Amino acid sequence: MSPPDGSLPFATPETASAPPTSAEVRRGVTAATPVLLGMLPAALVLGAQAAQKGLSSVEVLLMTSLNFAGGSEFAAIQLWTSPPHILLIVAITFLVNSRHLLMGATLAPFLRHLPKRKALPALFVMCDESWAFGLADAKARHAAGWSPAFSLPYYLGSALSVLLVWATFTTLGAVVGPFLGDIEAYGFGMAFPAIFLVLMRGMWRGFRAARPWLVSLGVAAGVHLLVPGAWYVPAGALAGLAAAWLLAEERG
Amino acid sequence: MIDAVTVLTIVLMAAVTYLTRIGGYLLLRDRRLGPRASAVMEAAPGCVLISVIAPAFVSDRPADLIALAVTVLAATRLPMLPTVLIGVATAGLLRHLLP
Repeated sequence: MSPPDGSLPFATPETASAPPTSAEVRRGVTAATPVLLGMLPAALVLGAQAAQKGLSSVEVLLMTSLNFAGGSEFAAIQLWTSPPHILLIVAITFLVNSRHLLMGATLAPFLRHLPKRKALPALFVMCDESWAFGLADAKARHAAGWSPAFSLPYYLGSALSVLLVWATFTTLGAVVGPFLGDIEAYGFGMAFPAIFLVLMRGMWRGFRAARPWLVSLGVAAGVHLLVPGAWYVPAGALAGLAAAWLLAEERG
Repeated sequence: MIDAVTVLTIVLMAAVTYLTRIGGYLLLRDRRLGPRASAVMEAAPGCVLISVIAPAFVSDRPADLIALAVTVLAATRLPMLPTVLIGVATAGLLRHLLP
């Protein structure tokens, strides 16, 4: 997700003292509101699909509040069997969320003023959206002369509102899903590809950077046609990562 | 209501996800990643997501393939909600119209 832009509704340090915490939290919630509205359909579909795979609403609430990383949850539910392939799902979760490693690394310079007992819990709620908001805000405040540049209450305001809405509406989807019957017959099977494709559009960095995705698609589709079971996911993912590794050499 | 294996899977998912959240902060903050490691990490989520939905691209139902093409087109230019609605409506409609 690209960092949010727009004006920053805080005064410069020359003209005012630090804004109160409650105002900073509110500023974070306000920044996140458009994102929250956009999340609702995906959250409801994830919950409904999870219920169809046999997860209870309590289990959905556990997953979306403890794991709290949408892409990996969509992948996990899509691959869910009864009982689940634990290793496959955990490995896929790690791969989908490995981008957090880079996100945490880029945020780290702005967290130096925070002790670890505050930074580590704050990172629990770092998702694509709250990372983008927190980082963009810290850069803008740094440019405006604020110290510390990173506003923890602003970041937490955006991050916790995303967590609250995500966990609430995925659970709601799991509660109402069973009343809808077999949603596949109405074409709801297309909801997941649609969500994944929009997520990938947000990661789009041009055709060259996306070539590993094409390798993954080709290999995964081929393996799916030839081999029964869920092997097409690790096969496609690893083929794409190998392609990314090999293609990166051209640049360096 | 709550299944032990399901909860174990969820807890392990949450654990590896939290490791990715704090790992970059703890291990990579004073390091520069090589271009290859960065390229692999940047490509990884897209590679996994496209692999998970790859079966849709080789479906044996023409209705689903056409609906997928419409959905891909919608995803390149529309936000989440309209894309999902268009994808689901097209798939539902074509499944009734085509064999």
